[in-house]
Amino acid sequence: MTENIQQPSDVPTKEKRSPGFWILAWRRFRRRKLSMLALALVLCLSAIAVFSPMIAGTKPIVCKYKGDLYFPCLAYFNADWENPIFHKDRFRKRYPKNLRKKDPESWAIYPLVFQDPYRPVRDGEWQDKNADGEWVDRPGNPYHGGVPSKLNIFGTYKRGVDVFASMVHGTRIALLVGFVSTGIAAFIGITLGAIAGYMGGAIDMVISRIIELVMCIPGIVLILALIAVIDKTNIWIMMAILGLTSWTGMARLTRAEFLKLKQSEFVAAAQSIGAGPLRIMFRHILPNALAPVMVPIVFGIAAAIKVEAGLSLLGFGAPPPNPSWGTVLNAGTSNYTEWWQIVFPGIAIFITILAYNLIGEGVQEATDPRLADPKD
Amino acid sequence: MAGYLIRRILLGLLTLLLITMVVYALIRFMPGSPMDTDPAMMNPDKMPSAEDLERIKIAYGLDKPVYEAYWIWLNNLATGDMGISYNEKKPVTDVIESRVWATLLLTVPSLVIAYLLAIPIGLWSTVRSGKLDERIAGVSLYMLYAIPSFIAALFLQLLFAVKLSGTAWELPLMGMHHSDYDEMGAIAQTWDLLQHMLLPVICFTYVSLAYYSRFIKANMEEVIRQDYIRTARAKGLGQMRIILHHAFRNTLIPFVTLLGLSLPSLLGGAIILEQVFNWPGMGQLYFRSIGTRDYPVIMGLTLSLSVLTLLGQLFADILYAFVDPRIAYK
Repeated sequence: MTENIQQPSDVPTKEKRSPGFWILAWRRFRRRKLSMLALALVLCLSAIAVFSPMIAGTKPIVCKYKGDLYFPCLAYFNADWENPIFHKDRFRKRYPKNLRKKDPESWAIYPLVFQDPYRPVRDGEWQDKNADGEWVDRPGNPYHGGVPSKLNIFGTYKRGVDVFASMVHGTRIALLVGFVSTGIAAFIGITLGAIAGYMGGAIDMVISRIIELVMCIPGIVLILALIAVIDKTNIWIMMAILGLTSWTGMARLTRAEFLKLKQSEFVAAAQSIGAGPLRIMFRHILPNALAPVMVPIVFGIAAAIKVEAGLSLLGFGAPPPNPSWGTVLNAGTSNYTEWWQIVFPGIAIFITILAYNLIGEGVQEATDPRLADPKD
Repeated sequence: MAGYLIRRILLGLLTLLLITMVVYALIRFMPGSPMDTDPAMMNPDKMPSAEDLERIKIAYGLDKPVYEAYWIWLNNLATGDMGISYNEKKPVTDVIESRVWATLLLTVPSLVIAYLLAIPIGLWSTVRSGKLDERIAGVSLYMLYAIPSFIAALFLQLLFAVKLSGTAWELPLMGMHHSDYDEMGAIAQTWDLLQHMLLPVICFTYVSLAYYSRFIKANMEEVIRQDYIRTARAKGLGQMRIILHHAFRNTLIPFVTLLGLSLPSLLGGAIILEQVFNWPGMGQLYFRSIGTRDYPVIMGLTLSLSVLTLLGQLFADILYAFVDPRIAYK
């Protein structure tokens, strides 16, 4: 009897691979409820950004017109993606009436909220069914003087543009600014830090002086000067400027990590088999140096969103056609009695920054080897 | 130490030279010039003639190439002359001096308040660590830290200047003085100034307060686990004495760096906040001088901010050696 008992450890024949650093970090991150909540919130915001034209807009998500299917809502991502047929048929961005007039057979599915982030909706652009089942014109913006109402749930700003629609579409800018500018900053910071740390000597001296130099110029001063130099900014240039002015912290951290890691044995081993400096730097050292740099990257995203909102508030942000949260705030400062132009975007900015900070904190704790759980 | 100081100062001077060079080049390459942003010259009736423009250009030294103009600026600086503001037609030093007090009026009280409150809060949360009241306080501070100060400013303005207007709690929306400030008595003037200062000072303070107290707590948490704290407890010392004398003193080193690094924020603290509160300080001056291409003022402000930043770093490093005898600079 006893001979037949199988030892449980004999079942898996292959030795189980121990989980890698990032898997362990993810496990530790997942244990932090608040950070996971924040991550869910950011994913939710990303979903709003991706589906913004389907949430709020005046262009149909999908419509059948003269026998063909179109997706006019994509024009909110890029104006060129609007099929020229609507331009040729003189729709002038007024879809509901024109579709009915020009092709009685047509049908369309409209976004959840019929409001435009760029312009006020006019009287009768949209029709509602009343209690008797008749179609009546919906009044245009600003409805009730722009106060938040059934039609404009967050009110209106700038002669009747819907705040809710602008904020939904502004989510795109907020998230893009965070990712793109921090991506640029991370790229510059990690590259320069890696070179300085690995090469050492005169190169390190020069790069360290450049880092010090950029650190010494107050960020907003440099940003304002660069914006003024470029004169005609667009949102991409803004992101580049934000990235160009916020890489110093990451560069210093990467440099310190590289200084430490280049002394380690795996680097000596790589050198001994003849690996080139680029290969050692980016293939061997960088993956090991990435964890501490992750933290300033996440906090950098929060900072970039904050700076963009601040610049928009001052009137230096995303230029007019782009609705950004800061632009709505800016409109609010010209008339404080229209509180909804300050309260709603303010809360959105605060929550987004808070979420990124919480994620950053989670990453910090999850990647800190001193806090590692020996049971893992 | 002396050798170290000399090296640091020389390196600092080099950094200053590079910063001013970069900024000078940047502003000179900005499109637009002081001539086409001066509102007085926009008046179609008083359009300056081409000769006039040329004359102004020469008077401002803008006819010379950038490197030459920078060299002249540098030479004048060596004699203590920062040039004359294009806008206000006054020496840059006077222009900056007229603004610096307004900014210091906000930043000095806010820094003092932040430090004075952060230390007790930080120590208190170390003692109460993990308890319900500490966690509530910790989370609130964390949330405060995430609110951008300009949004807090707008919210406070909404609350105190719009919502509560007409009540005893009403506070002025923006600016530094009431419109009939000059006719008031000395006491009324001080009261008026205090009322105008209150909201900006709060906005300046709360972010640093949240940051400093979290910073102190984090450092204290590390120290409190040390053996010598356990020894102190074991020999029966009171909580107060352990926290203040044994633990807090040992967290002073990182705290001191913070002190040095907050020096530049005294002047450049918040360009955006000064703009939101329409406060006639350095930030607003900087903002305006970029808008009107007032090159000498931009350079003067950049220079003073950079000097302060470098001094702050140097100050922090020297204090380091002062509070930690293990650190010796050679």
